[in-house]
Amino acid sequence: MSDRLERLTNLIAVLLEGPKPLLLEEIVEKVPGYPPDRESSRRQFERDKATLREVGIPVSLEAVHAFDQEIGYRIHRKDYQLPPIDLTDEERLALHLAVTAVRLEGDDGGPGKAALQKLGALEGTGTSPLAALRSVPAMPFLFDAMRRRSPVSFAYRGEIRHLHPYGLLSRGGHWYVIGWDEDREDLRSFRADRLESVPEAGPPNGFERPAGFDPRSTLRQHPWRFGDEEPVEAQLLVDADQAPWVLDEVGEEAVVERRDGGSVVIGLTVTNRAAFRSFVLGLLDHAEVLGPPELRADVVSWLETVA
Amino acid sequence: MTRRGRTDAASRLRRLLAVIPWVLEHQGARLSDVAARFGVTVADLEADFELLPYCGLPPYSPDRLIDCQVTDGRVTLRFAEYFNRPISLTPAEGFTLLAAGQTLLAVPGADPDAALAAALAKLADALDAAGGVAVELGAAPFVAAVRSAVETGEQLEIDYYAAGRDARTTRRVDPYAVFARGGEWYLDAYCHLAGGDRLFRVDRIAALRCSGEVFKRADDRRSPGGAVYHPSPEDRRVELVLPPDARWVVETYPTESVETEPDGRLRVVMAASSPAWLERLLLRLGPTAVLAAPADLPEMRAAAARRVLARYQGRSETVPGSVSG
Repeated sequence: MSDRLERLTNLIAVLLEGPKPLLLEEIVEKVPGYPPDRESSRRQFERDKATLREVGIPVSLEAVHAFDQEIGYRIHRKDYQLPPIDLTDEERLALHLAVTAVRLEGDDGGPGKAALQKLGALEGTGTSPLAALRSVPAMPFLFDAMRRRSPVSFAYRGEIRHLHPYGLLSRGGHWYVIGWDEDREDLRSFRADRLESVPEAGPPNGFERPAGFDPRSTLRQHPWRFGDEEPVEAQLLVDADQAPWVLDEVGEEAVVERRDGGSVVIGLTVTNRAAFRSFVLGLLDHAEVLGPPELRADVVSWLETVA
Repeated sequence: MTRRGRTDAASRLRRLLAVIPWVLEHQGARLSDVAARFGVTVADLEADFELLPYCGLPPYSPDRLIDCQVTDGRVTLRFAEYFNRPISLTPAEGFTLLAAGQTLLAVPGADPDAALAAALAKLADALDAAGGVAVELGAAPFVAAVRSAVETGEQLEIDYYAAGRDARTTRRVDPYAVFARGGEWYLDAYCHLAGGDRLFRVDRIAALRCSGEVFKRADDRRSPGGAVYHPSPEDRRVELVLPPDARWVVETYPTESVETEPDGRLRVVMAASSPAWLERLLLRLGPTAVLAAPADLPEMRAAAARRVLARYQGRSETVPGSVSG
């Protein structure tokens, strides 16, 4: 295996040095350790490229000369190396704590450790797992598209969507990709686990992200606000037992009135009546729509159809 | 070469390409310090360094090969300029680090010196991903208090709204662990009221009191893993036929089977975690869901609907308050 490691290291050096893209024959000639016959050396080179990619080193395939048909291989410095990140050891320890405290589902801890190693290693004692995040295979791809400003396209609810991905948000345990929807010409968010195809990305620098963009403020908070209906101000009475966690959900600022015994009246702006009704019914007989009359009547007639 | 062989080569390569730039930045560092930093033995490090004199550029003459000197346990490298920078992060590596970091930042009290915040800012800037990855965890007012009790091993008394029972109770619990999953905070504790281990939603704790007593930890206790709700054979199975826009049910709850009917509706079989859970689901689905099985579901739904309607007709029969048991 040392031979392989030696060959890989020399391969990287040669491809970095260039100065022009190299043909496979040239690579095999310059780098010791490739088998003599062409077919074996080609297979070995393909495996080596795969290993390089796995480690994070992209090998580019490009024309040797502008006027040439021949294509060769190169590693570009800017793709190879990490930009300067001047971390202190204290900051490295904080990052290590984070990767031990937070587990990304489907991840064996490999990417976190590899990242820390590239950033100058240093491991502290770590901590017991504190949080588990769900993830889906598309997330790293979407992350890369976001940071390169590459437009993406994917199938979603039976349609092909075109998005400029501005940011990624995990809320309620689900990941959302949020950005500018080219077809709807508006900001949109998509549940990453609902993508119906492997996303594709266009070339980098395909768009600019608005300054100060924050995924948290963009994703509409509550289901009853996710709609295009005429907004209506609802008032909901919630019993004392349920009040604490309902307020955690909607925020203290929603409180309109606190009653004796601990029940609260909250005010919500509703643009999606079905979602509002669903929320209210989730509270069973511990909540009551006080107004406006149309929303109260909506809940009553819904219940009467199944009573 | 076997896949495992290739993975080992990848790991060693990655390590080598991380160690070389570090040593170039810190010429004369102690071999033992470098080994400790990178979490390897000195022997492993020496094995890596033994390769280096064979690495470099054609024609692999002395001035084109990496020169590695170890004197008095201190290492210096020359002719290794092409490896003088750490390699870039893969998308998975960058995403994992930022996601994990942002999650921990969302935990109250987790970053007292702001080192994590600083690290993430530098990392995000370098990756051109500033403000691009955000994580929200539920606020749950008692998270910090519960975490503290877990650390000190102190028994707690909590006023808790149990969604499954649809009732509020006061319980004495031994807090073992607190964690976030699915965007919500959970307390893994032994509940004295129930006489067994329970998973509590921290945001459903209405009040909390420290008992001041340290509890005796059970040695053989398994920590909860996997899904928070485990359907058990005793839980009722229900069969529902749902309209296509009720797909959220399938995405939110574990199902045993999902079939798409010719007209696009979904026939699902699922375990009901509790009667209250089932009532909530049936009322939310309302008349759009066909209740295929078991036979008592329509009456169960009707009874729940009448109970809620009583509220709107001023004839509420439920009295909110403490219920024991």
